[in-house]
Amino acid sequence: MQIDQKMSGDITVVHISGDITLNQGGDVLLKDKIQSLLQQGAKKIVLDLGGVAYVDSAGLGQLVQIHATTKNQGGALRLANTTKKLKDLLVVTKLVTVFDSYESEKEAVASFN
Amino acid sequence: MDARLQVTDSSGRRLVTLDKPVFLIGRRTAADLQLVNADVSREHAEITNDGMRYLLRDRGSRYGTFVNGEQITERPLEHGDRIRLGRTDAIELVFMTDGSSSTHISGLRDIGSDADLRQMAAILNGLRALGSGRVLEEVLTLVLDSALDVTKAERGFIMLARPDGELEFKTARGRGRITLPGTSFTTSAKIPREVFQTGESRIVGDLMEGNLAGMHDGTIAIGIRHVLCVPLNVNPMATEQNIKPHIIGVLYLDGRERTTILSQQTRSSLEAFATQAALAIESARLYAESAEKARIERDLLVAAQIQQALLPTGSFETSFVDLAASSVPCRTVGGDFFDYLDLGARGFGFGLGDVAGKGAPAALLAAAVQSNFIAQAPVSGDPADTLTRVNNALLRRAIEARFATMFHGVVDVDGNLSYCNGGQEPPLVLARNDGISWLEEGGPVLGLLPGATYAFDRVKLEPGDLVVICSDGVTEARNAAGEEFGRERLIEAMAGCHGTKPDSALERLFGAVRKFSQGTPQGDDITGLVLRYRGRPN
Repeated sequence: MQIDQKMSGDITVVHISGDITLNQGGDVLLKDKIQSLLQQGAKKIVLDLGGVAYVDSAGLGQLVQIHATTKNQGGALRLANTTKKLKDLLVVTKLVTVFDSYESEKEAVASFN
Repeated sequence: MDARLQVTDSSGRRLVTLDKPVFLIGRRTAADLQLVNADVSREHAEITNDGMRYLLRDRGSRYGTFVNGEQITERPLEHGDRIRLGRTDAIELVFMTDGSSSTHISGLRDIGSDADLRQMAAILNGLRALGSGRVLEEVLTLVLDSALDVTKAERGFIMLARPDGELEFKTARGRGRITLPGTSFTTSAKIPREVFQTGESRIVGDLMEGNLAGMHDGTIAIGIRHVLCVPLNVNPMATEQNIKPHIIGVLYLDGRERTTILSQQTRSSLEAFATQAALAIESARLYAESAEKARIERDLLVAAQIQQALLPTGSFETSFVDLAASSVPCRTVGGDFFDYLDLGARGFGFGLGDVAGKGAPAALLAAAVQSNFIAQAPVSGDPADTLTRVNNALLRRAIEARFATMFHGVVDVDGNLSYCNGGQEPPLVLARNDGISWLEEGGPVLGLLPGATYAFDRVKLEPGDLVVICSDGVTEARNAAGEEFGRERLIEAMAGCHGTKPDSALERLFGAVRKFSQGTPQGDDITGLVLRYRGRPN
C-alpha cells in the first residue's frame, strides 16, 4: 500500500493506492498516517480511495476507527472515489451512513468550503 | 631459552629479562620486578625457570594473578601470554621468549593456532552433526572464546543480521572467557558492515594508519587499534558453485596489541573456522526457531480444540425446525462462529457471526461475541434488542478497529421468523419454487459504533423453507482465476433444495464452493448454517 499526500488550501488530501488489508499491514499504516496528520493539526482530511482495489474487514474497521478519531479531535474525514466494491461492502455492513462519501476528490474538497 | 617480560605501567613500557631461576614480582623493594600499585601484594608472584620452561606461580597475593584473563595459582607460560596482577589493567606484563620476533618462531606459533582452530572446527562440525539443541548463546560463546584463545585478541564480537539486514550484537566476550556487559560496544561500524556486504575478510593493522583515524574515532578513543573481521558464511562453496553466498553475520576481533590477529595465516584459518561456526550458529538458530514454532503450533492446536468445543454440534432439531451448520477455518483457528438456543415461548434462536481479522486474535474475539450472544439472547425482547446489547458489551471492552458481523434470528412454532442483521452478508430464504429473498434489515457491524441502532424485521416461513446463512468466506471464496463465488452461485447451488434436509443442503453449498475454488487456498474462514422450518407439529 502506498500513501501520498498533498495540501489543497487547509485541506489535506491523502491518496491511497494498493490494498488496505491486515496481511499487508495497510490498516496500521493508514492509522499511523492519519494520527500523525492529526498531531500536526490537520482538521480537514479527504481520503482518496480511487487506487484501492480491496479492503478487508480489518481495513474496514480501521477506516471507521480513523473516521471516529478524526471526529473526536474536532476534525472531519471524507471519502472520495470509493470503488464499487468498497461501496458494496459499506452497504452490507451498514456502515455507509457513517461516512461522507464523494464521487471525486474535487467534490470532496469542495464540500469543505 | 631466554625469556623476557614486557612491562607496561604508568612509567611506560620496558623489557625485563628473566635471568634468575626464581624471579620475584611484587611491591617490596627486594623484588626482581618491583611494581608500585595498590593491587600488587608485597610478594605477588614468581616466575621459575627449570631450564625447560617458565612457570608462573601466585605467591598467595591478595588480589590474584591472571593469565590471559584467567586466574591462576600456577601456570606454564607461553610466548605472548598476558599477565595481570590484581583487578586493574594499570599494569600489563607480556611474557616473551627470545627470538619471538623471528619468523621461524612465530610461524610455529601460527601452526599451533591452525591446529587449535581445526580442532574447534571439528568440534563445531560435530555439534552441527548432532543437530543439537545447543542453545544459540552457548554456541556463540564457544565460537568467540576459541577465536580469542587462538588470536590473542582482547575482545571478540559476533554480530548477526536481523531480518531487516542490519547487524546486531549477539555476544561479546573478552579474553579470559568473560562476557562483556552491555548491548552495544565501541567497535568500528564500518568494518563489520563492509565485511557483511562484501563477504570479504578485513584485517586492519592499525586504525591510525592510512588516514582511517577519522572514520574510526570511537574505536581509537578506547585504544583499540587492530581489527580482524571475517564473514559468517553458511554457504562457503558459493563462489565455486555459482550459488549466492549466505552471510548471516560477522565475527569481529580486536585488540590494542599487534598479536597474531594480523597474520595472514590466522586470517585464513579463522575464515575456515568461521564457516563451521556459521553453520553451527545457523543450525542452533533454526533449532530454536523450530522449537518456538512447534510450541506455538501446539498452543494453536489446543486453541482450535477449545474453539471447536465452544461451537455447538453441527446438527440439531426441535419439533418444528432442524438445522445443520459447519465452520472450516482457513488457519488452525478461525474467526467465525455459530450458535443456537431454545428461547422458550419466543421460539428457537440461532445466530452466525464473523469477526474481522484471522487467526488467534480473531478467535478470541469470536469467543467473546459468541458468549455475549448466548448470554444476551434469552433476556432480550427481540433480535434487534439482542444485537444492541451485544454491540454495547463489545464496546465496553473495545479492541481498536476490531469488530464482528452477526446475523441473529428467532423462529417460532408457527414459522414467524424475526431477525436482525448486524452487517452480515445477507442470508437468503429459499421458498417453494426456488423463490429467493434476502434478510437485510438490521444495523451496522458490532463493536465499532457507540450508540448504533438496530432494527428487526419479520418474515413468514412456510414448511420446507430454508434459511441459508454464510460467512463472507463463502461468497468471497476465490478460484484460481481470482473470481469470487458470489451470490449468484449461492442461489444456483441452492436451487431445488427447498424442503430437503439441512445437512444435505449445506453439503450441496460447500460442495459447490469446493468445486468452484478447485483447491485454491482460501483467505477466509468458511462457515455456513442452514435452518429448515418443518411446520407446526401435530
